[in-house]
Amino acid sequence: MKKIIAFLILFTVLLSACNVAGNNTQTSPTTYDINDWDSVVAAAKGQTVNWYLWGGSESINNYVDSFYGKALKERYDITLNRVPVADTVDAVNQVLSEKQAGKDPGVVDLIWINGENFATLKQANLLLPAWADKLPNSRLVNWDNPAINRDFGTPVDFQESPWSSAQFQLIYDSARMQPEDLPRSYAELKDWVVENPGRFTYIAPGPGGFQGTRFAKGALYEFSGNVEQWGNFDQAIWDEYSPLLWDYFNDIKPYLWRQGETYPKDENELHSLFANQEVDFSITQAIVGAGALIEQGLVPETARAFVFDNYMIGDFNYVGIPLNAPSKAAALVLANLLLDPEFQAAQVLPENGFGLGFGIDINRVTDSAELTKLQEASQKLGDAATPPSDLAKALVGDTAAEYQSLVEEGWRQFVLLAQ
Amino acid sequence: MKNQSAVIFRIFLYGILIAPLVLFMLYAFSERWFFPAPFPTAWTTNIVTRMLNDPRTTSGLFISIGIAMLVSFLSLLIGFPAARTLGSRVFRGRQIAWLIFFLPTVVPPLAVGMGLNILFLRLGWSGTLFGVILAHLVPTLPYTIFTLSGVFSRYDENYEHQALVLGSSRLRIFFTVTLRLVFPGLIVAGLFAFLISWSQYLLTLLIGGGKILTLPMLLFSAVSGGNPTSIAALSLLFVAPPVIIIAASARFLVQHGNTIREQY
Repeated sequence: MKKIIAFLILFTVLLSACNVAGNNTQTSPTTYDINDWDSVVAAAKGQTVNWYLWGGSESINNYVDSFYGKALKERYDITLNRVPVADTVDAVNQVLSEKQAGKDPGVVDLIWINGENFATLKQANLLLPAWADKLPNSRLVNWDNPAINRDFGTPVDFQESPWSSAQFQLIYDSARMQPEDLPRSYAELKDWVVENPGRFTYIAPGPGGFQGTRFAKGALYEFSGNVEQWGNFDQAIWDEYSPLLWDYFNDIKPYLWRQGETYPKDENELHSLFANQEVDFSITQAIVGAGALIEQGLVPETARAFVFDNYMIGDFNYVGIPLNAPSKAAALVLANLLLDPEFQAAQVLPENGFGLGFGIDINRVTDSAELTKLQEASQKLGDAATPPSDLAKALVGDTAAEYQSLVEEGWRQFVLLAQ
Repeated sequence: MKNQSAVIFRIFLYGILIAPLVLFMLYAFSERWFFPAPFPTAWTTNIVTRMLNDPRTTSGLFISIGIAMLVSFLSLLIGFPAARTLGSRVFRGRQIAWLIFFLPTVVPPLAVGMGLNILFLRLGWSGTLFGVILAHLVPTLPYTIFTLSGVFSRYDENYEHQALVLGSSRLRIFFTVTLRLVFPGLIVAGLFAFLISWSQYLLTLLIGGGKILTLPMLLFSAVSGGNPTSIAALSLLFVAPPVIIIAASARFLVQHGNTIREQY
């Protein structure tokens, strides 16, 4: 008994000692010059970079740890601390509340970000300004592409650096359906849903369900027939087309899974419904289509991705550095590593578990060995991917960021809660 | 006839208890097991191997065990005197004391957690192991006190008086008489505290602020990831320590329980 007590007391002391030691390892800010890359790398040496990113996909977590975590340690002596968040807005709120509390340095070094989260932080002047074009690998990024230099309509102004690209797609099971029977537009989808009651649902548009929001925006594009006008916010356009959107969703509602009384809240729930044959379609944004999901064991091996003939929204996603980041140099090194051709080639391969597209323009890669690697990788997307020509044909950009919350709130009010 | 139905009932009971574990075992080693397949069609050990090799899982396991052990020790330490007084003495304000000790079980943990978080933020304790352990004491203490006071209400202080008359020191009496007599009760109370602390998610999340990664936190994040194999593998790991501890102490308790009963 005494021994046990003595042991426990010792354990307490040890644990609290660990705690104190843990607090002391906070890296002190080291000076660097953003225009002198060697000084950035030198300042980053020995730092720990706290990378806040959506942690809902185990295969992405695994890819991040085993590829970037390893390379950072071995090449730059940087420790990667991947902080999984349920929704990127959690990381944004962390930075916002640090700002309110006047906490500098904070805890967040790098955030996987885009869209309204980027707009929020940029508007509040909480992001490190003008750095993305200073990264050595920034020369591989096509900054002239409006899909890259504007994020949901918000000018990027080099306050975030691209990582990868994604495009909205649907998934079907080739063991259950034939490609020629697939709907190829929102109008055809409506017919299909009415003929197959209970076999379709979509992700509820809202926080954590951005794929559902994107699905709704694609419908707006189809109803208006004009993509360009959605690039800047215009209340008149919204007032004209949003009633059509609510009508569309309310028309199919009685024919949805569970009569539209409830909706899957994120991609994983929809994959599960699809895998267990409760519904016949799922949704993905990965360039490898269903490939990474098959690897993860989330969907059957016969799952395949497809797109409508038009209005499949694609975009780039980025990483941003908060102004009060404790290890800015290490965050810069990591952002540069993300654009490295070696890792860009690795991220598209389905077996590595990430499965999103290139963030760089591979035509800008001059090293022939690297170029070959990237080209080979883009050939190996697997059978479960949508054919690249279909993707390219249907590709459209996202709307201005303001429509995001309008779609989400409107859907809730006029579709979910409508009688 | 009566015997037979008792046996059937017993088998049924065991079945209910074991079924979830069997399901976890099947899921943890199966690959792409979807409706309508009645049994897994493909097997894999990848996920379990990956989980066991993941430093996050092992550190989560040890942090959880460490926190739960410290919490049970501390709640016994704090709960012991309170339980003894409440269990064996009658005094004015006893009911009020009971009420105060039991409030944490009535007040929703979210309210307690939010309040504590604000307090701990000011004191600089949030995000620390110390803060999380303190917060876990809130839900564990009532159960420790309740269990121990039950033991003390049946406790005969005359044994202590006898030892005192025979010339023992207070300290010696505590270790050789008091502790020995209430030992089975201590184990049960400690076990309660361990299990309650072990399964805390909300308080750890609120006070730990995501910095203290315990096993339940990893489990919740796996559940939101939606991969049934990973969820099952982590669940097995989560269930294992309590089951082992209960199995080990149950045998021990039954023996002691008998000897105690023989004394009276």
